[in-house]
Amino acid sequence: MSHFRARLDSGVVLVTAMLMCACSRTDDRGPAGAAGAAGVAASTVSGTRISAPRTGPAGEWAHPAGDYSNSRFSELDQISAANAKNLHAAWTFSTGVLRGHEGQPLVIANTMYLVTPYPNVAYALDLTQEGAPLKWKARPPNSQTAVGLACCDVVNRGAAFADGKIFYNLLDGHTVAIDAASGALLWQTRMGSLARGETMTMAPIVVKGRVIVGSSGGEMGVRGWIAALDATSGREVWRAYNVGPDTDIKVGARFKPFYGRADTSRNQGATSWPGNTWQQGGATVWGWLSYDPELNLVYHGTSNPGPWNGKQRPGDNKWSAAIIARDADTGEMVWAFQPTPHDVWDYDAVNENILVDLPIRGRTRKALVHFDRNGFAYTMDRASGEVLVAKPFVPMNWSTGVDLATGRPALVADKMPEEGKKKSFICPSLEGGKNQQPAAFSPATGLFYVPTNNLCMDFEARQVAYIPGTPYIGGSAPEVAGPGGYRGEFIAWDATTGRKVWGIREPYPVWGGALATKGDVVFYGTLDGWFKAANARTGELLWKFKVGSGVVGNPITYLGPDGKQYIAVYAGIGGDMGLLIAGDVASNLPFDVRDRGSTLPDLARWTSWGGMLFVFAL
Amino acid sequence: MPRRSIGSILRAIFLVMLVALAVMLTQRWVRASPAQETARITRTATLPSPQAGSDLAGRFVSHADHIQPGMVSPQVGLVLRNPHEGDAAAVATGARLFIAYNCIDCHGADGTGAMGPSLADGRWHFGGTSSEIFESIYQGRPEGMPAWGTLISADQIWMLVSYLRSLEAGRNVTTENFTGKTVERSGH
Repeated sequence: MSHFRARLDSGVVLVTAMLMCACSRTDDRGPAGAAGAAGVAASTVSGTRISAPRTGPAGEWAHPAGDYSNSRFSELDQISAANAKNLHAAWTFSTGVLRGHEGQPLVIANTMYLVTPYPNVAYALDLTQEGAPLKWKARPPNSQTAVGLACCDVVNRGAAFADGKIFYNLLDGHTVAIDAASGALLWQTRMGSLARGETMTMAPIVVKGRVIVGSSGGEMGVRGWIAALDATSGREVWRAYNVGPDTDIKVGARFKPFYGRADTSRNQGATSWPGNTWQQGGATVWGWLSYDPELNLVYHGTSNPGPWNGKQRPGDNKWSAAIIARDADTGEMVWAFQPTPHDVWDYDAVNENILVDLPIRGRTRKALVHFDRNGFAYTMDRASGEVLVAKPFVPMNWSTGVDLATGRPALVADKMPEEGKKKSFICPSLEGGKNQQPAAFSPATGLFYVPTNNLCMDFEARQVAYIPGTPYIGGSAPEVAGPGGYRGEFIAWDATTGRKVWGIREPYPVWGGALATKGDVVFYGTLDGWFKAANARTGELLWKFKVGSGVVGNPITYLGPDGKQYIAVYAGIGGDMGLLIAGDVASNLPFDVRDRGSTLPDLARWTSWGGMLFVFAL
Repeated sequence: MPRRSIGSILRAIFLVMLVALAVMLTQRWVRASPAQETARITRTATLPSPQAGSDLAGRFVSHADHIQPGMVSPQVGLVLRNPHEGDAAAVATGARLFIAYNCIDCHGADGTGAMGPSLADGRWHFGGTSSEIFESIYQGRPEGMPAWGTLISADQIWMLVSYLRSLEAGRNVTTENFTGKTVERSGH
């Protein structure tokens, strides 16, 4: 609360500026931020390192997030802060599919690979030829039933590549492998059950010949899991649930959580729930995965517990709304941490975990940086799970701060949802301070670039019955703009101190991801259809282009066969935030002219459905 | 195989009970004219056999596959009538059932749409007559709409139909006049 009030008090000037301009730049640089900026001459910030930089050619984009560390950083620097104003559209491609285009393409060996929202069509485009014609197009069988079971639009967050194969998930709960050269379907493995409401939307990663995938369906009373498949055969190697008895969640001798380690009682994933309620406990894995080859740990978050109504599940509800480190070979849980124990706000902890080495209080730490839905940015020790820094990165009022001794947030009673009673103006809203839109990190500036939301909600919980295949929610949460009236901001963040360095305010939540480049240019797209380039050090807007539909995808960069640097991004509004704006919702047709129920009704003036790849160059 | 014969007897008794139940419920909702009396009896045999639906929670768990459409054959050419047509009490009960059966979290508060399509915009994928809406709820629809006919009573489905038919349809407005209204979210 104190933070939120402080922002309001000191933000009068900013609010005034907002009234004059829908999108204004703010500079929150304090003394520490200014000191950091003084070191801009160095190409990398001392003591700062991406934990596992990409091993392939710098001109490719072979991982969903560019590398195992989830940095979304590229060494390419042809496009710089000096020349970004000369960017122009080079070519475009319609995916033939509407709905939310989250995720990003891959570029390997002069071929670009795209995966669309449902029905999850894959395309391979030949970048060596003018106009990038298709090499192949693949459409694996994918049950139509899945469409209505996906909570938040029929999105797909992209493919992974390894050993000449493209791997991705189908909305109906299958993982597929496709021959990157021919487009032939190599295997298709059923991983989830539609009858229970399980779908799949996340982007896999491939670690040592195994494809690691996780489930969606946290709003359907499913029991979340993460699993590894053999990349050659598609056979399941291991599967770990995130709630339930120790054997199911792979808790054993190696499990050493930093917090609560004194409590060695068994089966906490079940005993922290009343009765058998953990069986409908959610804790899905629909976000981004990271991997540290040195520690051999895979990092993932888990979704909200089910149902939202906390009265139906008193307890910490382990390991929902958690960040979890698992052994990549066995799936064993090594540590776990709940940013929001007993979550009652729908604060999933699935947001990406960015693995970097950072100087913190005079010591270089193997860090994990995570911008949680709950509004706190966590800088953690990725070997132990200790929280080193936890500061709000957006306006928030449900907690007054995180106790670093326990890792737990201090709660504000007035902002705790209750059954049958409306609690007003809880910030952030259930969409979180940040949602699926991934942040980026630049070792050149030492800063994180974070697309954020500024929304608040009124929350009223209600009793809900579990009915398989239907939503298991038990609450309503209408949303409004947060303090200041703007609804999103693209910020630069110093994770060593927990301080915002600069921000670009946006009229809408920034639902597209970030890209950072060695040229000191950062890129992001907006719901109202602008694709923007900003100076990584100052936040100065360098260039923008109006694409065909709102952006909820993540920009990438690559070197073309002509040796030129290109930037690529999907346009195609949708996803959870786009659902009520452009989806098959209040009007059943994308081209309809009927008033929509929405937190962002005015957005309809700026965008409609789309499904396009845009590629830019100097 | 004695076990098999006992099973057959049980199945036969169950079938008779279902038909009896169907006849009872049918008489409540199909108001056939005297001239259609013979036809009604013929149709009764092909009518669905809804369950009374008391201990619902337990029953749902045993029907985990009910979200697959096509569990029940469509009633081609059959026009069903809502026994609660014009009954305000049925609308109110239907509104409560809309929440109790989690319809609200797919179709949104006031049916304005969320995960699933709006039911309040006057546009219907599978028809908006009472009979057609009944059929959509009863047998499910291809994009994830569960087949509720095996889970809840026909009477409750009719009250849901009453509620949905009571919702005000959307109106055409120009884009610059979109105002929207604050509605419930399903969230990620």
